[in-house]
Amino acid sequence: MISQSKKVLFLFFIFFNGIINSESILIQNVTIYDGKNNNPFVGNVLVDGNKISRVSTSNLRGDKVIDATGKILTPGIISTDTDIGIVEIGALSVTRDDSSDLYKIGFSIYDAFNPNSVLIPWNRSNGITSTLTLPQNTDSPIGGLGSFFVLDSNLEITGIKDNVMIGRVGGSGGESRSETFSIMEDLLEFASSIDSKDIESYQDAADLIDDSPIAETMELHPRDLKALYRLINDDLPLIIKANRASDLLKLINIKEKYDLNLIIIGAQEAGLVANKIAESDIPLIINPINNIPESFDELAANIELAGNLERIGITLMFNAPRSHNYHLIRQGAGVAVANGMSYEGALKAITLSPVEIFNLGNRGQIAQGNIADLIIWDADPLEPSSMPEKVFINGKDIDLTSRMSRLTDRYTKNKDKPNGYRN
Amino acid sequence: MTKLIKYSFLIFACFIEAKPFESTYEPLPSENILIRNANIYDGEGNEFKETDLLIQERKIVAIGKDLPVGNEFLIIDASNKWVTPGIIDIHSHMGVYPAPGVSTSSDGNEATSPVTADVWAEHSIWVQDPQYALALKGGITAFHILPGSANLIGGRGVTVKNLQRNTINSMKFPDAPHSLKMACGENPKRVYGNRQQAPSTRMGNAAGYRKSWIQAQAYLSRLDEYEAKSDEAKEIGYAPQRDLEMDTLAGVLRGEILVHNHCYRAEEMATMINIANEFNYKITAFHHGVEAYKIADLLAENNICGALWADWWGFKHEAYDMVQANIAIVDQALGGKGCAIVHSDDAIGIQHLNQEASKALAAGLRAGFDISKARAMNWITSNPAKAAGIYDQTGSLKVGKNADVVIWSKNPFSVYALVERVFIDGATAYNRENNFQPASDFDVGIISPEKNRTEE
Repeated sequence: MISQSKKVLFLFFIFFNGIINSESILIQNVTIYDGKNNNPFVGNVLVDGNKISRVSTSNLRGDKVIDATGKILTPGIISTDTDIGIVEIGALSVTRDDSSDLYKIGFSIYDAFNPNSVLIPWNRSNGITSTLTLPQNTDSPIGGLGSFFVLDSNLEITGIKDNVMIGRVGGSGGESRSETFSIMEDLLEFASSIDSKDIESYQDAADLIDDSPIAETMELHPRDLKALYRLINDDLPLIIKANRASDLLKLINIKEKYDLNLIIIGAQEAGLVANKIAESDIPLIINPINNIPESFDELAANIELAGNLERIGITLMFNAPRSHNYHLIRQGAGVAVANGMSYEGALKAITLSPVEIFNLGNRGQIAQGNIADLIIWDADPLEPSSMPEKVFINGKDIDLTSRMSRLTDRYTKNKDKPNGYRN
Repeated sequence: MTKLIKYSFLIFACFIEAKPFESTYEPLPSENILIRNANIYDGEGNEFKETDLLIQERKIVAIGKDLPVGNEFLIIDASNKWVTPGIIDIHSHMGVYPAPGVSTSSDGNEATSPVTADVWAEHSIWVQDPQYALALKGGITAFHILPGSANLIGGRGVTVKNLQRNTINSMKFPDAPHSLKMACGENPKRVYGNRQQAPSTRMGNAAGYRKSWIQAQAYLSRLDEYEAKSDEAKEIGYAPQRDLEMDTLAGVLRGEILVHNHCYRAEEMATMINIANEFNYKITAFHHGVEAYKIADLLAENNICGALWADWWGFKHEAYDMVQANIAIVDQALGGKGCAIVHSDDAIGIQHLNQEASKALAAGLRAGFDISKARAMNWITSNPAKAAGIYDQTGSLKVGKNADVVIWSKNPFSVYALVERVFIDGATAYNRENNFQPASDFDVGIISPEKNRTEE
């Protein structure tokens, strides 16, 4: 009897759930910032299933209507350069999955991603709907693979595996940066010489390593060779961390020589070589709030960098170094606007630009047919005091509860109960 | 022999009476100024719209509508702009961890012994740190520089004016008390535990503080005993030998040095309050206090400020239970008797303390508290001034106080607000309009010989 009623309930749940999924959602009378540099407009957005089915200034009909008069709608924010899902607590190595001693180039963090990390509901409730999660730099100047993850908390990961490679060059306290560049070029020469047949079998790849001085010296593994092959042949985006102006010029040179899909992260001195970066069409990931000359590579750090680079026509994306709060790219974007960047440009840097640069599918812009990753904001999203009122990921209205909101409730409500017995 | 006794007495007299390393601060040239028609947060919880602020002889002399002034006043039209007191950061490592962050000037942690009450942050400060000028453009007029948190007792902190000078004494805030940096939790137990020495546990931490206070009590009683003697008796007896470490701890027990305690977890803060009660000293503020919201009433009952971040968390286990309403909950404890401070601990954060306060306020409002922007302004002005022991001189726009004043282009709780002008003691220290700003020697000709570091 009991089991039968459970079964009925289960069937009812499936049925009911099905209805919810097929129910279209109309976000009505909302101020739309579409993410693509366009001026905002007041209109209506219809979400059907996981897609945006209509964007219009004329009236639309939907099964469920959300009146968003006076509110702002943006695409879900995409944080590039995070460790969401692979680092739970920075100083606690047992919760870190962001580095490898063995694999220098083909190290992937994808299988380590934890969809139950508390960072996910927190960053999501602050407007981040997806992330480009990157490992720590390895011992190789190029190497380590990052992945794209949608922050939907599904244990079955929604994302793109190993879609970027990282690297770094600069003052290290160890070898000369000249050696770093040489290793980088040797690896790229070697990568250019790899034929797909050479790495089909593990043994063939191992033999190739034995025959290559750089691969042997660096103790590469077949896994590393596959990644190198992809870098050259699959146009894999390569995100190199570099700051000093002279390093940026050298990277431009390397990009042209090996026809790389190069993105530079950091780029604190980009203002000194901005025209060259623009000519070579290299997108940058910068932290617009960081104006600290933190090292001798970053002496030209400047709060007006984002605006200056935008005016020269460089494609920008933003990152935020502060541990765990990747939504603070909104604050960085606001600071960029306060210091000379256009509002639409700053918003694009955290929505559509990462999608275009990293090929993240049809998202990042509020447009018909795109995946419905959307945020309804209570006020200007670039004000760090603003918060999402609603977050949609894949068209689904996401509950905004986080561990932080639960703890807040615990210590502001039901205070008559001992704290252990509160909700 | 008598000579020797006299000599030692003299040294001792110096130790209790003369102040070494005294401030030699001299303000910049000032003018008498009328800031006209400004919107004002006064740092005392008040907001005044379209109001004048009068600065004369480096002091605030009046706030009011349509204040009449003579020709000798510089008049600044601040219509549609906002005016606040100079912003104060109660937790900075500028100077002791300057930029660039290189090992040769990384001077914030004397991590060679868990108790280093004898070291003073001001003896580490690099006066050419380029970060001061950046903070000035964020409205910072004074800040409190602390040693790091590697040690249980890390040494003395110092409060300085945000005016870069060539000696530390000339930056020191006149008559500001020293502070003592103490640290709970993971940092000391990690640093020393990794070396197989005490402390390696939190109970080891607690034992370490208590041992030090026991020594300090003994030192202080010898000192008291000696000082109670008649001048004749002092001449024929020996003065207790001076001890730098004990000097500092005795200063705390005498209430002359303010305790600033790095501490994250709620139960550790409660333990530190127990220790303070055991040895009869006062904790001025807990710093970082990611779990302060769990014991907000206890902090308010003990008149302890929470110097907190708006949202930092997760870098350590003891920083895992972050809530963004932390600052608001501490502020609103016991019906609004709490003391909340927004601190930076960071050279970027210090430039945007107004934005940090804005986030903390927004979180507080969402948690259901009724807090005005004018009150939230206290978190970065009067409350840190109180915790630094300089509230009698600065931290709010009260008549008679130093004219430490910031003019903002917009409401400072907006990310788009820029600092237009900063006055320290009535003197312009920064003016966006004509690009009047300091540059440290480090900035000079370092990228391009003919320019300063950030010049286009």
